[in-house]
Amino acid sequence: MEAPSCRERPPGSEEEKEDPAVVVGLSLCDSAPLVWRMQDLRTVRSRGLVGALLGSLPRAPRQNGRLGRPLLLLPEEERLLREHHAAAALPQPDRSQAMSGLLKQDGVRAELCQQYEEQQQRSFEEQSVLALEDRKSALHRAMTSSHISAESGAGTSDEALQHRLQTLDQNFTFPRSALAVQLSTARTGLSYCSEARALLQADWPIRQRCKPHCDARYQVYRDLRGRGFYLTSAGKFGGDFLVYPGDPLRFHAHFIAVCVTLDESICLLDVLAVTRLGSNVKKTVLLCSPGADGGVCYTSLQWSGMV
Amino acid sequence: MKMSGASDGAEMPEKRPPPNWILQHPAYQQMKDLQVGDSAQVHAAFLVYMDLTEVRRWKEVSCVKSPELQLVLLEVREKEGAPVQTVLPLPVHCSLSHKSIRQVLDRGFPMLLCAVAADSTLVYQRMTDGLVTPEPPVGPFQDVGRRQQRKRRQQR
Repeated sequence: MEAPSCRERPPGSEEEKEDPAVVVGLSLCDSAPLVWRMQDLRTVRSRGLVGALLGSLPRAPRQNGRLGRPLLLLPEEERLLREHHAAAALPQPDRSQAMSGLLKQDGVRAELCQQYEEQQQRSFEEQSVLALEDRKSALHRAMTSSHISAESGAGTSDEALQHRLQTLDQNFTFPRSALAVQLSTARTGLSYCSEARALLQADWPIRQRCKPHCDARYQVYRDLRGRGFYLTSAGKFGGDFLVYPGDPLRFHAHFIAVCVTLDESICLLDVLAVTRLGSNVKKTVLLCSPGADGGVCYTSLQWSGMV
Repeated sequence: MKMSGASDGAEMPEKRPPPNWILQHPAYQQMKDLQVGDSAQVHAAFLVYMDLTEVRRWKEVSCVKSPELQLVLLEVREKEGAPVQTVLPLPVHCSLSHKSIRQVLDRGFPMLLCAVAADSTLVYQRMTDGLVTPEPPVGPFQDVGRRQQRKRRQQR
């Protein structure tokens, strides 16, 4: 991920475009919360939330290693933002808004098409002129080169040249198929997240997700985040979260957090497996459970070293 | 082998299996007397007991009953004068809750979980309250880039 720039931003600023620090815009792709805009990504990172980049950078090498926008947030990260009133969903193009919406969209598209056609026509005219000049100078060079002037006198060659140039002028056509067309590979912005959509217009709440296990995960996430740890998902290690003592760009993870409720029955074989895995990758496995009082209790599982 | 002097006094069949030394071991009987009601766990506890006393030669191994969990726990010192540790022996097919682990930790001693497999393999794991930072990786560290270049040069 590109390193965030270090411009200072005044807190609580009114300017929506310059200020990333107030509310993060989320685009919902089905149920996945995605962050597209650069200032939103900076805000998210500055709050200690990491997320996972999903997109590719088409002009960069090693595209499997270095990914680009959008940033996918963990459900816990989205929920934390929501609780701090720091996230809102961007309005989606609503399909149910039938006619007016569609027409508006079509209108915009038609306008873009027209602009494109005009641009192509202009380019075509310019290129015809250039092609004609090119041909003329080539003709001139050919006619005035030494072996031709040796055949006929100077006067007649001039006349012949003029005659040829005139015919060229009248009969020259620049075929459309010879038109050079530029295809842009760089986008100047993200068209599906246009700045025209005012973020603050979105005031409908982000959809709820109610699962009992999710609550345990969220309590643990919030507690660890509150202690200053950075958390990412730990699917690779069979746990719920990877816990870093600082920014993941600078540190290795210390813990693999497995979130369970206090009363949940855990198979002993699973405990053995995850602890063994943790010891192989030099991480401590944390068994985390939210307690009744709102706190979270942690048990560290480690290889005993007793062979 | 014919058994003489059977202790239970019931009618004697023609051939009796040899006496189970485990059942007769005083430590096992001590554990049985705790009456936890889970014979598989008592068996597991006994195997751990034997490992700690006879194989590792740890000291002052004693068994206690955990009333909340209805299980046999072992209290042991690794050496003379070392602090007391609690060992929770469990058959490997069992499941347990985080709550029960906390209850053992609440006894205040460092805790070891010991999983006993069907072939009596024992696996010990340490359980500690809180966040224990892992040991950092041991050096010396080699720059990966140069190693790869060296490899390529050798391959050519």
